[in-house]
Amino acid sequence: MSQNFEPVASCQGQAGGVIARDGHILFCAVDESRILDFDPDSGAVSEFRRYTSRISGLAPWPSGRIYAAQSGSRRVVQLNPDGSVSTLSSRLGGRVHNHPFDLTVDGSGRIWFSDPYSAIPAQGPQVFERLGHASVLRLRQLPNRHWTMDRMTTDTSFPGAVQVSADSSTLFVTENDPDPQGRRELRAYPIFADGNLGRPAVLHTFGSDHRGPHRGGYGLCLDAGGRLLLCAGSTESGPGPAVYIFGLDGHISGTLALPENPAACCCLGSEIYVTTVGGRLLRADAG
Amino acid sequence: MVAQGLIFGEGPVWNRREGRFYWVDIIGDTIWRWTPEVGAEVFIRPSGRANGMTLDRQGRLLVAGWGSRSVWRIEPDGVVRTLASHYRGVRINTPNDIVVRSDGRIYWTDPSGALFIPGMEGDDLQRYLDNHPVFRLDPDGTVVEAVADVSYPNGLCFSPDESRLYINDTWRAHIRVFDVAPDGELSGGEVFYSLVGDEPGVADGMKVDGEGNVYVTGPAGIHVIDPSGRLLGRIKVPGHTTNMAWGEDDWRTLFVTTYSSVFRLRLGIAGIPVGPEADA
Repeated sequence: MSQNFEPVASCQGQAGGVIARDGHILFCAVDESRILDFDPDSGAVSEFRRYTSRISGLAPWPSGRIYAAQSGSRRVVQLNPDGSVSTLSSRLGGRVHNHPFDLTVDGSGRIWFSDPYSAIPAQGPQVFERLGHASVLRLRQLPNRHWTMDRMTTDTSFPGAVQVSADSSTLFVTENDPDPQGRRELRAYPIFADGNLGRPAVLHTFGSDHRGPHRGGYGLCLDAGGRLLLCAGSTESGPGPAVYIFGLDGHISGTLALPENPAACCCLGSEIYVTTVGGRLLRADAG
Repeated sequence: MVAQGLIFGEGPVWNRREGRFYWVDIIGDTIWRWTPEVGAEVFIRPSGRANGMTLDRQGRLLVAGWGSRSVWRIEPDGVVRTLASHYRGVRINTPNDIVVRSDGRIYWTDPSGALFIPGMEGDDLQRYLDNHPVFRLDPDGTVVEAVADVSYPNGLCFSPDESRLYINDTWRAHIRVFDVAPDGELSGGEVFYSLVGDEPGVADGMKVDGEGNVYVTGPAGIHVIDPSGRLLGRIKVPGHTTNMAWGEDDWRTLFVTTYSSVFRLRLGIAGIPVGPEADA
């Protein structure tokens, strides 16, 4: 399968997380610390939020809230409909965690987020050391409305994209160790009834070639049918940048070639939107 | 050493009437106080991530509410009164440090650090202003944008005769000096001093002594600059220095806050008194 992606919007520097909301596309202009709003009907681009402190991942929630991975401030925040921003929790066992990259919300309202290290330090004084691990963490709201945070993976070192399946039974995670000997793969962790994760199945592995290690996956989303879409790869090595489509059986059912290195993806109806490392928002109709 | 075990010490001020020293731990969300022969005790917790503090001529504690995004005061009966939180209907950034002139006009720096620095979160982390101003609060309650073109305003202090206001800029690593008119308006703003040095430390807290010398945190500790802008020397302080304040009966003790600790040292030149004693 192959589709032609067209650029529909752009930003300065790297683009990041992208979501569909109310018929619009919101995407992170990470290096600009802004979130931009693309209207598919008119093609207009407007500013949704500014001063976002390098928000790199977004997850909508039905109440109108949007949860966001605020990498530049090492926390997960909530963008409220009135324009304000609330922090949920920035501490794991009393320690400030690393740099949230991506996040996803399950059917119980629990927020799962990847917490890798970052080459770009947090803004301001460097008061807090990084954690001794880079894991997938989970925020869960207690009856008193406070949030509590738990470490959910112990086998990740470069967690990237995260996505909960439509039935909340599986957590998909990309592991992106850039070392040629490291693991770059898409994993599917079963979510048990008690909320813990089981041993993951590896759905796809990225290798290396004469040009170097293949770039792994940095964006995950579900389409309207519940299929998993993974955007991965690069022009520098391997088969090239692409969107991988996984059927409900976990096997690749198709790929869509991309013209440049992807960052994240989302679906709106039959359309696929992909943000890129080069700062563009691409669109294709998957039919 | 006066105190240790802090996460981010700041906001030092001496209350001469009480014979007590006050300071804050921003990330610890506490205003502390220390009494000689007694030691340190919690004064207010939570503090809304209080930052810079000073005393007005009535002896009331004025606080730059870093996390609460307000300037507030403790009244004699203990009531906390918010003095300013908005400018032209828009919520201000995050007040960092604060001074009060003898006529009651209050000036504070308003960068947005508490909106993005890990561990310093308040209740709303959205920034609404597009600059980092220095604000003035007039006695009639009007908030005025006193300086608009600072990159990241942090420490500020008056010269002994209040004819000059020094404002430092953390991101540009310099101090600017403004002329102060009787009505509180500021003019000028040329660069007074640029910080140099590779050691840890940035332009943060700043005070003036009784002879007009400027003390500013910077690489290695505290830089002491004469009124012409010439570096007289540096006071090396262990740790990352954040602010300082003179105190004790003769105002010759310099209390110094760092991320983790509070130190005091004796100096030959007295500082400018704060609070009711400022007019003595």
